[in-house]
Amino acid sequence: MIEVKNVTKTYGKKQNAFQALKDVSFTIPDGASVAILGKSGSGKSTLMHAMSGLDRPETGEVVIDGRNILKLNQKQVDLFRSHRMSFIFQSFFVQANESCYDNVSLPLEIAGVPPRARDKKIIAALEAVELLDKKKSRARDLSGGQKQRLAIARAIVNEPKILFADEPTGNLDSATGAVVEDLLFGYNKNKGATLIIVTHDAELAAKCDMRINVKDGIVESIETPKGRTK
Amino acid sequence: MKTRDIIRRAGKSLRHAKVRTLLTSLAISVGAFTVTVALAAGAGGQAYTDSLVKNNGDQRSLTVFPKADDSDSDAPKVHDAATSTKQGVLTDSDIETLRKVKGVGEITPAYNISAAYMTRGAEKYDTGIAMKVDRTAMPLAAGSLDDNQIPAGEVVIPDSYLDALGFKDAKAAIGKTLTVHVEKPGAGFGAAPEGKDFTFKIVAVGKKSATVLHYTAELNISTKDGKAIYDYQTAGAGRSGQYYALTVRVKDGFEVQEVKEAIKAKDYSVFSLQDLQQALFQFIDVIKWGVAGFGFLAILASVFGIINTQYISVLERTQQIGLMKALGARRRDVGRLFRYEAAWVGFLGGIIGTGLAVSTSLLNPWIAKTLDLEPGTQLLLFNPVTSVVLVASLMLVAVAAGYFPSRKAAKLDPIEALRTE
Repeated sequence: MIEVKNVTKTYGKKQNAFQALKDVSFTIPDGASVAILGKSGSGKSTLMHAMSGLDRPETGEVVIDGRNILKLNQKQVDLFRSHRMSFIFQSFFVQANESCYDNVSLPLEIAGVPPRARDKKIIAALEAVELLDKKKSRARDLSGGQKQRLAIARAIVNEPKILFADEPTGNLDSATGAVVEDLLFGYNKNKGATLIIVTHDAELAAKCDMRINVKDGIVESIETPKGRTK
Repeated sequence: MKTRDIIRRAGKSLRHAKVRTLLTSLAISVGAFTVTVALAAGAGGQAYTDSLVKNNGDQRSLTVFPKADDSDSDAPKVHDAATSTKQGVLTDSDIETLRKVKGVGEITPAYNISAAYMTRGAEKYDTGIAMKVDRTAMPLAAGSLDDNQIPAGEVVIPDSYLDALGFKDAKAAIGKTLTVHVEKPGAGFGAAPEGKDFTFKIVAVGKKSATVLHYTAELNISTKDGKAIYDYQTAGAGRSGQYYALTVRVKDGFEVQEVKEAIKAKDYSVFSLQDLQQALFQFIDVIKWGVAGFGFLAILASVFGIINTQYISVLERTQQIGLMKALGARRRDVGRLFRYEAAWVGFLGGIIGTGLAVSTSLLNPWIAKTLDLEPGTQLLLFNPVTSVVLVASLMLVAVAAGYFPSRKAAKLDPIEALRTE
């Protein structure tokens, strides 16, 4: 369970100060698929950064499995991220010079998984995104859709409990986008992992269990299968 | 992250920037090359000097001279009957004085002797004759000398005498006899010189060697025979019992330097080969460190190259750093990644530099030939330990140079880093 309580994040100082998040609160149950929906500049990315411990809001709490990650020190947050969560980005951020295998290996290396245990996980992840035949190819030789699938393999290889996806289909055509969506929701359903998609694509958001609408740093409304709040 | 994985990733990123890595390494290798060659030339020079000294003198021998006039004034001194006449000469009483010094072994006076001619029955030839006083190794063409000394009644002839004396080669001369005729002035004014024959057995044949500084083709005999000739030549003459120098052999178990100081304290001038050796070593050291100094300067210059390259590398890989941090990589890991990269660059530069330097040892025969040194002399002497230490230090230097870029990488804000497209 992820609980966001009264989170406020301000950028800049004094007269230049700009509140990207204003007293945001909500709760996400385990295993849910969630869309954080909003226009650019609405604060949805800032919200994702705060929830993942990449950013530190000055007030509020982000409680994940009973621990307020904003109270953890840097080392503990890093450890938490490397073992519990993962990311998918709009521009993939695959390492163009490296082979697909090495790309997927990176999170395992960061988490300190011993080399022997790695191989099986990497192969399984590549298989899940149907890129096993490209294992030795360099990432720069892949198409856009393949790159995003590689990014998914990299994101799921360490079996995170929480998967953040920042506009995962933003740079893809609808056909390849659909494949990527299927993979994300498949992981969410099969592994019971929480999937949090940051997007301005209402169509993609509609496929999620839960939608958090953000506007000007405020949670405007939350739609759940049970109904609409606020 | 595990160190092994970081090292592997560091190596891989360098491989992706091959040209840049190579150029940065080459800058370091110039310094590494210069330092290695300087040290090798220093080591080779010392080894060569060592062999020179060994072939030109016995290191456990001291040469004692009368105390030199060491006052700065060139004005004439007031005559003093007690000391002035003895100036410049050593006598038997000096031998007695030296014998009492602790550590002094055998004392051999240096005599001036001369031969009128040498012969093997047929032709007579002019020759020089000298005593072999110390245990200096003598390059030999044939025969052998026990403890580098010539036994009484025997002689070492130079190989250049072989033809004239009728030997077909050096081996043929061993064991044969040679007569030396010695003369002294006749008694009384205008009298004809008197002469006497001394016969020697040839024990060995000496040869010229590039490592012997002053080589004279002459006969070498034992000190005992030398004394006999000297006594014969000076009997009745005024210069009997006077020596221009004494060779003192330091007993085993005593420090040459200590004995030297003890003799010096008795008001003599003492000269040891170690003095010469030390002076030469010091000279070589100055040159060695001088050249190595330029190498260190080159390394210092290359440090800025590493810093520059690493900064560019950090900028280029902002996005990768951001991703790693988002995936939970710690600051320390990111910093280490860049420091190890720098270490790799230092390692490569060191290996290239020392490798090239060591390959110059192939030039050794050519150097020896050009400088007219003894064939087989290695003037560039490489020590593997030095090379390993040098490469290791270069890696440390590179890591130090990579400190600021790696800190920049470690401090990058992942959100900012991932915003850069």
